[in-house]
Amino acid sequence: MEQKNPIANPLIVLREEFDDWAILFDPDTGNAFGLNPTGVFIWKLLDGKHDTDEIVNRLREEADEVPADAAEHARQFIASLEQQGLVGYEVIAGSPA
Amino acid sequence: MRLMRTPNKVDIAITNRCNLRCRYCYHFESAGDVEGDLSTAAWLQFFEELNRCAVTEVTLAGGEPFIRGDLKEIISGIVRNRMRFQILSNGTLIDDEIASFIASTKRCNYVQVSIDGSMPETHDVMRGKGSFAKALQGLMTLRRNGVQAGVRVTIHRKNVHDLEGIAKLLLEDLRLSSFGTNSAGAMGLCRKNAEMVQLTTEDRMIAMETLLRLTKKYNGRINAMAGPLAEARGWLDMEEARLRGKKLGPGRGYLSGCGCYWQDLAVRADGAVSPCTMLSHIDLGRINRDDIGEIWRGHDALKVLRDRNRVPLSDFAFCQGCEYIKYCTGNCPGLSYTLVGEVNHPSPDACLRKFLAEGGRLPERSLLC
Repeated sequence: MEQKNPIANPLIVLREEFDDWAILFDPDTGNAFGLNPTGVFIWKLLDGKHDTDEIVNRLREEADEVPADAAEHARQFIASLEQQGLVGYEVIAGSPA
Repeated sequence: MRLMRTPNKVDIAITNRCNLRCRYCYHFESAGDVEGDLSTAAWLQFFEELNRCAVTEVTLAGGEPFIRGDLKEIISGIVRNRMRFQILSNGTLIDDEIASFIASTKRCNYVQVSIDGSMPETHDVMRGKGSFAKALQGLMTLRRNGVQAGVRVTIHRKNVHDLEGIAKLLLEDLRLSSFGTNSAGAMGLCRKNAEMVQLTTEDRMIAMETLLRLTKKYNGRINAMAGPLAEARGWLDMEEARLRGKKLGPGRGYLSGCGCYWQDLAVRADGAVSPCTMLSHIDLGRINRDDIGEIWRGHDALKVLRDRNRVPLSDFAFCQGCEYIKYCTGNCPGLSYTLVGEVNHPSPDACLRKFLAEGGRLPERSLLC
């Protein structure tokens, strides 16, 4: 069984700014992407140790008023990061069935 | 204005050495002119801290950065620590090997080469015999290797009549997309070479009008943050605002002329941290000894600078009775310090009233594009 854990591209710089917002800076292109506080929270858990469900569970534990469809929003957010090369996936071998 | 957690950019004098001694150099004989360059290891260690601080870019200046034999290692350290960079250079020491290396990093925003004339006579007179040809060669070497190359023209008494030739050379013959301009100021070697270097009021008027005309002719391809072109634009706006009773935006009427210390820090060639290369006399600490983030957020000297924009120009005897006071920003604190010994003072060099009192006239507003 394989498990996919999203991992932030280690080249990308997280530059935290005001009020828990941040910028993701790609030094290769010079492009910068804005992140709101929820995006920053998710980004910091993209360490290859958490799958998307675990990230959303942590969000529910630590944030207030997390909407019911947060999991879908989180998946779409991570998918958009992947599309832009900011996130990749680690594929690890799970326990045999 | 809210403060970032860490500086976004750092301006680094990577060396105090230079193969030239340009007569208007702001660096030599200024507070930034210090003994002894730091080792490669010291800079590499510092770049690791900049990485932890999420600094996104550095500017390498000096002295002349290309004089360092370890420049490749230094640039590799910048790249390894997830930053982009630009280099300010006299252009005379650039060969294919280093240019090719810079291009290969894909992290170079630009290399700026100083070119002050359309011919050797007007460039070499301030920069040294043979430097024009070498600077042009350096510029072409950068372009041949795919490095984004820009040009800065410093306007002085000996090239103010060559501006049309310079614009033709850079924008038509060499087909640069644009070039930047400034004028020889009052810092460093300028002070002792003032008679030869600094623009008279008449020179300033010629430069302003010529640059506005050329900017219009070349569809905005001439830039300036300071010097005659920037002055012409800024002063014309102030005069227009005065005549029409208009407002010019926030900060006018206060010492708001500089925003650098809200985004940038500078480091001297000996590793001393300062707010800006124009304020090298302000020692905020040392790299690899003092925490850059703590300096940035907590140093008293930076707090004083950041409070400048609360200081009304009406506090200064220099500004009393000035009809432009509510449209003025007081301009560069580095120039203020150089000219009057005070950082928190309007810069006399940037004073419209003074310019007019000395016989200056503003160019026609119709020249603006």
